[in-house]
Amino acid sequence: MKPTPFSGHCRPHEHISRRALFKAALTTAAGATVANWGGLFNTQAVAAEAKKRGKRCILLWMNGGASQIDTFDMKPGRPTGGPFREIKTKLPGYRICEYLPKMAQQVDKLGIIRSMRTQSPDHPDGIYHMHTCYKQSERMPHPELGAMIAKYLGQTDADLPSFVRMGPTGNAGAGYLGPAHEPFSIDRAGKLPPFTGLYSPAAGEARRNDLLRFMEKEHQQTNGADAYESHRLAKERAWRLLRAKGLFDISKEWPQHESLYGPTDFGRGCLLARKLVQAGVPFVEVGQDNYDSHADNFVCHKANMQVLDPAWSGLLTDLERTGQLQDTLVVWMGEVGRTPNINNRAGRDHFIRGWTIVLAGGGIKGGVVYGSTDADGREVAENPVSEGDLFATIYTVLGMNPRQKHYAGTRPIWATPEGSKPVKALLA
Amino acid sequence: MNFDQAKLLWSLPWDADWVSAVSFIGPRRVAAGNHLGEILVWDLPENPEPAPAPPPEKNKSGSGEKSERPLHAAPPPARQLLGHSNVVNRLVCAEDRWLISASHDHTVRYWDLQAAPGASAKLTLNARTIEDALRSKSSGRKPPAPHEAEVRTQPSAKTLEGKEWIVGLGLNQDRSTLITGDDAGQVTLYDRAAGTELKRWQVKGWAYAVALSPDRRQAFVSERYPLVFDSGRHTGAKLWDAAAGTVQHDLSKEFKNMQLAAAAYSADGSVLAVGRGGEADGTSGKVFLVDPASGKIQREFNPGHLNGLTDLCFHPDGKHLLSAGRDTVVRIWSLADGKLVKELGKPRGGQFKDWIHALSLTADGTRLAAADMAGHVHIWQLGS
Repeated sequence: MKPTPFSGHCRPHEHISRRALFKAALTTAAGATVANWGGLFNTQAVAAEAKKRGKRCILLWMNGGASQIDTFDMKPGRPTGGPFREIKTKLPGYRICEYLPKMAQQVDKLGIIRSMRTQSPDHPDGIYHMHTCYKQSERMPHPELGAMIAKYLGQTDADLPSFVRMGPTGNAGAGYLGPAHEPFSIDRAGKLPPFTGLYSPAAGEARRNDLLRFMEKEHQQTNGADAYESHRLAKERAWRLLRAKGLFDISKEWPQHESLYGPTDFGRGCLLARKLVQAGVPFVEVGQDNYDSHADNFVCHKANMQVLDPAWSGLLTDLERTGQLQDTLVVWMGEVGRTPNINNRAGRDHFIRGWTIVLAGGGIKGGVVYGSTDADGREVAENPVSEGDLFATIYTVLGMNPRQKHYAGTRPIWATPEGSKPVKALLA
Repeated sequence: MNFDQAKLLWSLPWDADWVSAVSFIGPRRVAAGNHLGEILVWDLPENPEPAPAPPPEKNKSGSGEKSERPLHAAPPPARQLLGHSNVVNRLVCAEDRWLISASHDHTVRYWDLQAAPGASAKLTLNARTIEDALRSKSSGRKPPAPHEAEVRTQPSAKTLEGKEWIVGLGLNQDRSTLITGDDAGQVTLYDRAAGTELKRWQVKGWAYAVALSPDRRQAFVSERYPLVFDSGRHTGAKLWDAAAGTVQHDLSKEFKNMQLAAAAYSADGSVLAVGRGGEADGTSGKVFLVDPASGKIQREFNPGHLNGLTDLCFHPDGKHLLSAGRDTVVRIWSLADGKLVKELGKPRGGQFKDWIHALSLTADGTRLAAADMAGHVHIWQLGS
């Protein structure tokens, strides 16, 4: 019988690592159990090397799961094809949906994986899996892509957070990497949360903060638990962020960029993401709601694509124009694809047996369409790609080691699952 | 008319794809369009054959309700109208001669049903069932024998070009003016006979349901832009001065967050009926009666269609209204008191039911046609 984590039924060889893990765990004030990150990692050299390369990543998260057949893997004339029509792209012989006309002109920058075969078919587990490349059921709190990139590509002394996300995004956080790499979340249009405002005049605020630092230090010395240190770290990051919060304000730039990105929240988010990576933030995730079109799939996707197309193509154009595209990986994905079959709600349901993810920039070979599905899109026909393969590709492109080993206690945990391999055809 | 005596005359099979639009062309001819852009026309026989005996009952463990059986054997389709290449959204008819269609292929097309048809072609009316059975061989399901028919083909006589999916289509009471609404937000009035544009205006979202008052002075247009959370999401409902292209009454607050899928004026123009579509929660796919002069809601019919309404039309007797929805039923309502008079059909499907996509009544109101997504056009006799 396969042991269930925390069930008490585990095999002898697991005992040491599990015990070590429990020993290394602590309970936060909120009651959640998290790994004790103090002294667990031996990765500074890797991080230093990755940082030198100056790579960045923007994840465009299609919350709910976009339909591959209605975007990049169309099946015209087939029963599964739906009402959207194809248009030509810059890549001879490759066609995409008519509602992505601007992206059709960017295909030479894209590495399109049409053969994702993944394991987690629903939203919470799919969101977790596609943000961490590990199953949610493993219980070990794996870090999101953003946290991992923040760790290896972020600057610890920067005023800006190294993992920013806006709108509907991931659900795993920094996991075993600890609170220093937790995401800084802002709303879907890039608006900062209210707590980033000053409670009192700046001079008074500074005195308050100094007093709090003193109290935290005294308390930590007396009590010694890392939870207090993590709280102090979070406060320090927040204070640093306040110094740089002006960067999040795109109100002055927006009028000049609105026509490029489109007049939408998601478009604003993409412009802010471009601005943040330019300022040195290594990972920004921008979520777009909502592709979970169990009903009325086609009007849902049509509306969403009209938002997506200018925003995504505008982002790529802007990154290229500002000389950042070669160092900025842009990932387009959601947690699942959508079924080839159209259900009796005019919808498409969740699908994991053959769907599409798109990469661009940052060292991705453009104009590559990798893998394929069968005539009706029901199965991968060639070159299946797993969650681990995708993450191995992303980490490789960003100059990170996809098999980087971390430790929780004495338990080794790798950045991607065993057997994960980067898709070499996509590497420039 | 005694609707209690309503009976299902025919269920015309055609499962190539969802049957999405339907219209009578005179009392004995009916046309239907589907999601592939195909349109078929059936001539309904004056002396129909009785329906064949049903196959022997198999012992089933399920508890699903049985569908009503038609009285008569389905006649084969007579014509196939060629031209559309994508979903046929609406069909309307004028002079018992002209069939007019609106499609996702960005066109409105006219067909002259009095013109001689062209070359013959063969169709398989159960092609999808056969294909599904062949694909899922492991289920042990045997594909049925092909149900073949020979039709005469006919190209369209006139095409009006648009730039987006044309979802809304309607005629005023005397059939002189055509109104269309598309996903570019364009609302256009045409001289129906000439096919020439009379007036055009822009709405904020995608134009969804459209209707033109009998005197052609007022138009109703519902709008949608179905984003979920983005601040660009939008629904709207407005009464327009059709001559000026200006808003008379904005009903968007009254119908907040509702995608109104169908609209029709009563024959005398005193009442506007609108119905809530999209996938509405529960039984909120309701019909609302609106006073066109004031824009005020006068009445709503309960219960609404499960999961949303798809189409509605006034009965020529001036006393009743019919509606259909995402619950495989047609409802007949009393306009005077809002009471449900009769329900035709039975809910079919699992948690979510199949749709009746569209309705059409003969001019005398004695027959009703309904487009069933599962691949049928149902014809009911409502009264004599």
